[in-house]
Amino acid sequence: MDCPIKTQENREWLLDYSAGRLDHQHAVMVERHMEACPDCTRFVAEQRVVWEALGQWEPQEISPDFNRRLYQRIDQAKPASWLRLLWRPLVPVAATCLLLVAGVALHTPTAPPRVESVEPEQVERTLDDLQMLRELALTPPEEAKTSQPM
Amino acid sequence: MPQWVKEDMGASLALDCDVELMLRVKDGDGASFALLLDKYRVSVTHFLYRMVQDQPVAEELAQEVFLRVYKSRETYEPAAKFTTWLYRIATHLALNWLRDKKNERGQERLDEVAEDGPVRELPDRAPSVEQRMVHRVKVDEVRRAVAALPAKQRAAVLMHKYDEMEYSQIAKILSCSESAVKSLLFRAYETLRVRLAHMA
Repeated sequence: MDCPIKTQENREWLLDYSAGRLDHQHAVMVERHMEACPDCTRFVAEQRVVWEALGQWEPQEISPDFNRRLYQRIDQAKPASWLRLLWRPLVPVAATCLLLVAGVALHTPTAPPRVESVEPEQVERTLDDLQMLRELALTPPEEAKTSQPM
Repeated sequence: MPQWVKEDMGASLALDCDVELMLRVKDGDGASFALLLDKYRVSVTHFLYRMVQDQPVAEELAQEVFLRVYKSRETYEPAAKFTTWLYRIATHLALNWLRDKKNERGQERLDEVAEDGPVRELPDRAPSVEQRMVHRVKVDEVRRAVAALPAKQRAAVLMHKYDEMEYSQIAKILSCSESAVKSLLFRAYETLRVRLAHMA
């Protein structure tokens, strides 16, 4: 057997041997080769360290409601597809209606802005009211109290 | 199973009972989908957890995997082993997530998020506080070493180590040649051997 590291051939045998996954026949070949090859021996030793280290990394537990959430999503996906099928022919109709409404709105003549006229009587009344308020504010407090209804 | 499927598929595929189950799902059998879910929920979620190193994200992605399996049941064709198809979806989602995450916040954030998550303790008989601490530190080093690998190398290592997949299957999942997978694995393990050498 040629050295897998030097020749780059069958390098995976070293990986599989380190992982204990190599079949018996090839494992014997690797072992015989390693007796005379310090590079491959070191490779296997270092790879076994990596293999064992990776083995210590255990994943976290999965949420107990995983299936429930998934089936919920599946149920949600079902009506969506029906709606999509239902809406597909309606989209051009809706777009046409929207264009028509927009066209009608643009062509409707708009009414002239209303200018509110101010009558002279209204101005006079406002001035009178202001005068009355000013007089009330000048009235002494006692008088103001007595003039207030009970 | 229809006759043409048997003819088109190789002997190994014809014996793949998962393909059989998936074809039943295609025919509207919900119970077969439940069987596939129960069979692969754990392995797919664990693979995704080790890829993204964030449990809620891993579960979210795993749900997306099975949702896609369910949604594409009507167009399913048994062109490969069921697990090849399943892991191809999972790997695709994980690689996309990692790419988006990298674009968003950079690789450092991935480490921070993973640090917050609790590390599962060894199930052995009442380890001391010191043993738990040592184990935690070791697992954290392993996790960081794996996280530092390029995403494709990481996927290859995880499928090789934890899912015990053949090189040919990993190649199909990653859409590359078998020799490319071997090169990926050799580079990845070389990096890990350097980073984890002190754990001997």
